[in-house]
Amino acid sequence: MRLRREFHGLIVSANPGVPARDYFSLFNIEPGMSLDEKALERTYHTLLSQFHPDRYAGKSAVEQRVAAQFCADVNSGYRTLRNEVTRAEYLLKSVGVDLHAAEREGVDAGFLMTQITLRERLEDTPATDKESRRALTEEITEHYHCSRDRCARSIAASDWSEAARAWQEMCFLWKLLDAAQPAEH
Amino acid sequence: MALLQINEPGAVGERHRERRIGVGIDLGTTNSLIAHFDGEQLCVIADDLGETSMPSVVHYGASETLVGRSALAAAQRGSCDTLASTKRMLGRSRQEFEDDPYVSLASGEALALETEIGPKTPVEVSASILAALKERAEPGLDGPIYGAVITVPAYFDDAQRQATRQAAELAGIKVLRLLNEPTAAAVAYGLDEQSEESSLLGVYDLGGGTFDISILKMREGLFEVLATGGNSALGGDDFDRALADYVLSKTGLSDPSSAQRRVALRLARNIKEALTTSEAVTEELSQLGGSLPEITITRESLEILIAPFIEQTLQACRQSLRDAGTDTVDRVVLVGGSTRMPAVQKAVADCFHLAPLCSLDPDEVVAMGAAKQANILVGNHGDNEALLLDVIPLSLGLETYGGLVERVIERNSTIPVARAQEFTTARDGQTGLVVHVVQGERERVEDCRSLAQFELTGIPPMVAGAARVEVTFRVDADGILEVAAMEQETGARAEVIVKPAFGLEEGQIADMLKAGYEHAGEDMLARKLGEARVEAEALIAGIHSALAADRDLLSDTELADLQGEIGLLEVAIDNNDPDRIRESTERLGRSSEVFAARRMDRSIQVALQGVALTDLEAEENAS
Repeated sequence: MRLRREFHGLIVSANPGVPARDYFSLFNIEPGMSLDEKALERTYHTLLSQFHPDRYAGKSAVEQRVAAQFCADVNSGYRTLRNEVTRAEYLLKSVGVDLHAAEREGVDAGFLMTQITLRERLEDTPATDKESRRALTEEITEHYHCSRDRCARSIAASDWSEAARAWQEMCFLWKLLDAAQPAEH
Repeated sequence: MALLQINEPGAVGERHRERRIGVGIDLGTTNSLIAHFDGEQLCVIADDLGETSMPSVVHYGASETLVGRSALAAAQRGSCDTLASTKRMLGRSRQEFEDDPYVSLASGEALALETEIGPKTPVEVSASILAALKERAEPGLDGPIYGAVITVPAYFDDAQRQATRQAAELAGIKVLRLLNEPTAAAVAYGLDEQSEESSLLGVYDLGGGTFDISILKMREGLFEVLATGGNSALGGDDFDRALADYVLSKTGLSDPSSAQRRVALRLARNIKEALTTSEAVTEELSQLGGSLPEITITRESLEILIAPFIEQTLQACRQSLRDAGTDTVDRVVLVGGSTRMPAVQKAVADCFHLAPLCSLDPDEVVAMGAAKQANILVGNHGDNEALLLDVIPLSLGLETYGGLVERVIERNSTIPVARAQEFTTARDGQTGLVVHVVQGERERVEDCRSLAQFELTGIPPMVAGAARVEVTFRVDADGILEVAAMEQETGARAEVIVKPAFGLEEGQIADMLKAGYEHAGEDMLARKLGEARVEAEALIAGIHSALAADRDLLSDTELADLQGEIGLLEVAIDNNDPDRIRESTERLGRSSEVFAARRMDRSIQVALQGVALTDLEAEENAS
């Protein structure tokens, strides 16, 4: 059994024929899992405040087009880097890790058991039992932090196969955390 | 920072441009409005009687087309050639309205309504409304309208947005931007706009036919939409219908005629409006022709009838709060005529644990925000103007094997946005594939809205899974989608700008526009030439000044090519042919794109150094 991929997407430039921008250098930050989210947001706002196509309103069509393409990159980059799961995926892809192959390999048996148990316990806890739900959510969050930290350490140590395994665990736990919140749809 | 022009005050290309006129239009289900910012204040433009709201009602009679209040009067005389609430039908399919007892569809395949002068599509009806608004506004302005910001429900999908654009095109209005209604309202309120601390704002917008909820983060002139949700077919009209059905059932009319339904609907609307201030209303029913002479409705019984609709709006509110990653907001504002109802105000207050703000007229606030933004988008902006960062309301994706949807752009993504995904072939030797673009949150294709379908052919025969097809989705600042597919090995390409499946054909629009131009004559040609020349000359001047500053960004060949294109455009200008000038401007524009992009990269470095300095200062202040 292997986990279904929940986060993926090849990131390309909005401008066809031009290689994709590197998101870390776009936001002027060191590539890696740890990142100052406040600084990321500040840079995001600065870039958009200056280069959003609306800032070129009334100017030539070329300028508006170039600005729109740039902002599409900035928006995609911000969305990718802001979330830890997509950030990890981006880091792994940018060094050429084959995540498809990693998925075929799957996660280890111990984690598989943990995730099945967590999923079953979530299904057995009614949304109305808020106290138990909260306790379970905290437990899942702990597991998530554990996988995330392992992913970050492995990336820093260039241990790509271990990082890819930890990333798959993050995907799964993130999805589970989402399911643990009451849905409105 | 100008990419091509030097942005000094009074610089070439800026100096001689006159102030352009932009307007904001709220094209509503029940009422439409037009507003203008004259440089000092926002004003909603009224008609001769001083009314700012124009009923979104059109009467197509044999002798004349009436729009607004006069059309409404015709409707009250019982004419069935009077069309109302057609916004609900924009960008929708015929199938969705076939069982609707309140509309009479014209025969044929397309979604069109029966009138005395033939079938009318929802796009044409909207165009009539837009044209009437333009006509109302123009006499009081200093010149012709350059363009308009037209508002749409945030929850409108791609097809509905495209249909709105088409309506504007038909009415001869240049669309500066399709702006989401709740975002426009937030701009009009402008709360905490310049505050350094960020605050969260909820905009609850319940109109005649649509409901939107948006959660925005505001800080230092930035309006960032974090999440949006809603229902583009839920509004005050549903309250009216529920009440009309109730009245009809009480009168014992088991199978009412469509004329009786229209009367019941009008009575229901009167009752609903009266119950905003009264606890109970008695309405005379003789016009209905049933057995009951009159009916008394209490506010409480109306509230029971509409409770399920209000609960639907609250569900969307809770989902949007969750999508925005927050439990609550700092403020919530009410927009749309239906928020006048006490039951709605109470429900919103309970949901957000806050007393909602409604200091601006809920009917006018959207048009006002649109006008403010229109003034910026025609280029009359100063330095500290607000910047709006909006999102797409529904995820965009593709049909994959087994009828499942693969999402490419998630809902609530900030626009403009571009994203690509790689796909492959499922069978050995497969040489083509169908790209089916859908919008919605559900897993299965049949539960989502189908936007477009196109084929990519010319893939060389390979074993299954060997081809690499990259599909790129691009959503512009209006929320409109463009999709391209390319096979990576061979470079085989196919692309579409997604056309509304249920709007008008390109040819139809061209024909309708041509009919209009024939009346315009020489004036039009002179204006077209003038506009083309101004644009061309500004571009040339911009490139020259950019070259003076950053010539080193181009190789000698690139420079020679650019100068060649400039020469061609100058010849076109001398020949006074507007179409050729436009064509050459477009070509020069394309060739200068690389130069503009490199100038942008250079200025990004400067901007980022600025951020680094600010960070340093922040650290120093902290220590």
